[in-house]
Amino acid sequence: MPRTLLTGNHAAGRVLALAGEANRAARGCCGGAYPITPQTEIIEYLRGVNFTRGRIVPVESEHSAMAVCIGAALAGARAFTASSANGLSYMTENVFAAGYYRLPIVMIAVNRTLGPPWNIWVDQGDSLALRDAAWLQFYTEAHQDLVDTILLAFRVAEDARVLLPAMVALDGFVVSHTQMVVDLPTQEQVDAFLPPCRVPHALRADHPATVGGLTWPAETAHHRREIQEAMERVPAVLEEALDAFERCFGRRPSGALAETQTEDAETVLISCNTMSRTLRDVIRARREAGEKVGMINCKLFRPFPRQALLDSIGQATRVGVLDRNHSPGSGGVFWQEVAATFGGTAQRDGRVIQDYIVGLGGGDVTPAVLNEVVDDLRRRNHAAAPVWREVAL
Amino acid sequence: MTELTICGRGGQGGVTLAKLIATAAFQRGQYSQAFGVYAAERSGAPLAAYVRIDDREITNHNQVRQPDHVIVLDRTLVGPQVLAGLKPDGWIIVNTAESPDELSSIFSGWHVATVDATAIAVANKLGTRAVPIVNTTMLGAVARVLTFDWEQIVGALQSARFSEANLAAARTAYEAVRMALLPGVRAAAACAKSTAAPASLFDENVGAPPTIRTGAWATRRPHREQLTPPCVAACPAGNDVRSFVAELGKNNVDGALCILLETSPLPGVCGRVCPAPCMQRCNRNPFDESVQVRELERYAAEHGRRPAPTQPWRASRVAVVGSGPAGLSATYHLARLGHCVSLYESRDELGGLLRTGIPAYRLPRDVLDEEISHILRHGVKAHLGYQVDRATLLELSRRHDAVFVATGLQELRGLDLGPRADGFVMQGVDFLDRARGFDIAVRGERVVVIGGGNTAVDAARSALRLGAHPVRIFYRRTRAEMPAIGEEIDEALAEGVELQELVAPLALRPDNGEAVLTCARLALGEPDQTGRPRPIPLTSEDAQFDIRCDRVILAMGQGRDISLLPEGAEVRMNGALAGWAGAPLYFGGDFATNDGTVAAALGSGRRAAWHIHLALTGEDLFPPPLQPVASAEYVHWSQFDHSSAHHAPHAPPVQRRRSFVEVRQSLSDEPGHNVAAEEAARCLSCGVCNLCDQCIEHCPEGVLRRDGDCFRFDFDYCKGCGVCASQCPRGVIHMAEL
Repeated sequence: MPRTLLTGNHAAGRVLALAGEANRAARGCCGGAYPITPQTEIIEYLRGVNFTRGRIVPVESEHSAMAVCIGAALAGARAFTASSANGLSYMTENVFAAGYYRLPIVMIAVNRTLGPPWNIWVDQGDSLALRDAAWLQFYTEAHQDLVDTILLAFRVAEDARVLLPAMVALDGFVVSHTQMVVDLPTQEQVDAFLPPCRVPHALRADHPATVGGLTWPAETAHHRREIQEAMERVPAVLEEALDAFERCFGRRPSGALAETQTEDAETVLISCNTMSRTLRDVIRARREAGEKVGMINCKLFRPFPRQALLDSIGQATRVGVLDRNHSPGSGGVFWQEVAATFGGTAQRDGRVIQDYIVGLGGGDVTPAVLNEVVDDLRRRNHAAAPVWREVAL
Repeated sequence: MTELTICGRGGQGGVTLAKLIATAAFQRGQYSQAFGVYAAERSGAPLAAYVRIDDREITNHNQVRQPDHVIVLDRTLVGPQVLAGLKPDGWIIVNTAESPDELSSIFSGWHVATVDATAIAVANKLGTRAVPIVNTTMLGAVARVLTFDWEQIVGALQSARFSEANLAAARTAYEAVRMALLPGVRAAAACAKSTAAPASLFDENVGAPPTIRTGAWATRRPHREQLTPPCVAACPAGNDVRSFVAELGKNNVDGALCILLETSPLPGVCGRVCPAPCMQRCNRNPFDESVQVRELERYAAEHGRRPAPTQPWRASRVAVVGSGPAGLSATYHLARLGHCVSLYESRDELGGLLRTGIPAYRLPRDVLDEEISHILRHGVKAHLGYQVDRATLLELSRRHDAVFVATGLQELRGLDLGPRADGFVMQGVDFLDRARGFDIAVRGERVVVIGGGNTAVDAARSALRLGAHPVRIFYRRTRAEMPAIGEEIDEALAEGVELQELVAPLALRPDNGEAVLTCARLALGEPDQTGRPRPIPLTSEDAQFDIRCDRVILAMGQGRDISLLPEGAEVRMNGALAGWAGAPLYFGGDFATNDGTVAAALGSGRRAAWHIHLALTGEDLFPPPLQPVASAEYVHWSQFDHSSAHHAPHAPPVQRRRSFVEVRQSLSDEPGHNVAAEEAARCLSCGVCNLCDQCIEHCPEGVLRRDGDCFRFDFDYCKGCGVCASQCPRGVIHMAEL
């Protein structure tokens, strides 16, 4: 993998282009393109790419950008796009459609706070609002994880056992506009890693049919249940994809979860995206100071890897969840998932499962902030309502 | 790990500088990270960018709060806050013309490096004059201070495809940066940026989003300031060129003529004979082709209606001596100001050199007559055949409240070509005067004209029209130095006049009824006091040659006849004479200024009218000093398309060679085209708002309103983004720091 210096956006754009080009021997690639801060550079990059077979279609809105992807995928092409924040909100109708059509579209979600009040910085409320849209969701740490995960997302989404779209999220600005060293795959490597995209229910001119017409309640419920079953197959398919990745690239990226020093931890924190990288440094430092703390980076959010998470948490009695998002009236969305994971299980008894809402609106979550969170968690014997920590840019 | 903070302003390229530094580090095999703090995007707003460099993978994504070094791109951002969190041995690298020592009051005890990156960037044309982009220049300074290899900097710039100018600027800064450890106790930082959340963002207790007056974000404010268009600055007559062209563009020909008549009584004359410095200075000139102002002025004079003349309403009596352009101009303006003007002319027709010195093929008589009679209709009394000498001038001054003297240049410069030259040599001015009345026969003669000014070219072309052949102009410098109007020279050459450059006559001897003119060949030497190269004689064997001809016409310029001036008199700054017993005397036109153009004479006469009016009434009509000139840098060229000028047709050379019919015709409308209006619409209106409303249409905040020609910014909501200033096609809107 050639080493280069790229912004997160350009890294994502390059990998999308490599993946699109890799399908040239099959039905090619296609994507709708509409810009929004902080995702714009991805679209700009893709518009400049000359695909052997495929094209990027500039459209007038995010809603249409996803419509192009749906049409392309239904024609059997490898389809992808990118958006952010209110763009994702505007796209929502077709985001659900892509999921319910079972189309293996890959979308980069550059996380940005939903307005109003207007805000351009990172939080995950935009993509998490789409958690029920029948998409896989990956939350990536930084540049290398982003590159690796996009490739994995195509492979898993297009797998015949899954056939669901996948969203790959990254931190707006903190990753999207930051230049970092990253190893990019070559076209040959991507060609080898990604099999030709095959959409079994793609429309065919020689066999005209309507997709997505009216279904009766029982059929609809069955359709949903099949989606759930496909979701449940994802962890195993992802592990297979990681094996293939390792064979192809000679290294193994992290999977659904990545534990750091959880083995005998009494206190475990769960987080994602760049916050995990800061947290990892904090945890290592505290381990060196003799504290029994650990952390879990939760990359895969949909499907939520419940069993793997329970295994990773092990015997830890205090579980803290860092949420850079907020579901009004409830709390952090990751915390809901973690709490639901324990719900009805024997492991729940006696554990503190505490939510921390930090860095909403793009606040700079520093090691000092995270140390305060760890201190707070270690003092707790009972969980309380979500703890808010408002931090400045 | 090395961490850098870059403090700059939006538009200076701080984030790109961070990326370039990171790239340079990457090129020497290190891990690096570069990012900016993105906020509401506004050029000019303070911003920060950060770089991390390490030998290991970088896992931190927070902003840099304890930098190893600080880079300051803008002098206005220098202050103790720059030191916030800075590590003790860190460098502070500042873009400033000052030396490190000059910053000792702020940075005592610190390592300080300075470089004038703004000047270097401007010299290398990086960014615009108003907003130079200093990032690549500062990269050179940073490279030197932080000991990067120059090759890594070249590599970083080239990998980002920066131009050679950026590389040159970086190299200049690399060499020019000054570094010092300032003496004294280490200055303290201002308190570091707080990472705590503000107590409450919200005004109301309901948790509604905060209401913000976006004007509070502004660091700069737009203001409107009209500049002087270069054509207006260039016009010696003081014509408001842009305004009359603008009226023509709106097809308001009467309005255009009214604007011209405010400053000049002779638009029909100037629309034909002016060398048009306005067109030379026109910003369109280097872009495609200047607006054809002279043709447009002529068009306005031909097609516009003149307003009814006013009549004198004051008791003051002013005498004007000389009815050339300066005298006519003073007469016109004084009459329009209500004074009773008597105009004295030694000849039996008015017009001075306009009549005697400019041939009819350039300035038809009826055009001149019509414009002069319009002047006279303002209640002016003209006295023809009135010779003025020192005695009559004294007499005139006793009968009037002021006297304006514009008798031009009556002393003709001669040339001693030997004792036997007289029969063959005549003055160009005399020749032109006689040619206009067909009072001289040169048919079949070989004519040599000596000189390079308009008189020389006019004399040559008149001789041609009267049947002389061949007609040669001998000039001691080259075509490029000839003072004559370039187009006139072109036309003369097209008609068949021959031009011999770098030649000066030395002597003339008669030989069998014809003249043998001995001439010297010259070369151009060092510039003389006029700035033109001095002609110097060649010394080679063939440095002289003889030429046979029948007539030599001298057109070598004129001097003023100062015998009019009272003895011991002294000219004051304002052109009035001191030590004179009668009414104040004022001098103008070529007599006073020797500018040599009709337009300059018109301006001189107009200024004299202001002087006289001030002396007689106490009313000061002098305009305030001109605003700065809107040179080409003020024009936003991307807003304009290239377009060719509309030219008036010329009579073909073959036809005009034998005729005094006017060479140039006027701009004529074509079916479906108002050619003059189309040509006028090419005017860029440099530096003057023409209500194009680009600013209003592009204001992203909608804070700019216009009521008639009155603009209003709502500064409660103006963010100072500068879009209006960057969209104004003509440089009327300027940004100023708050």
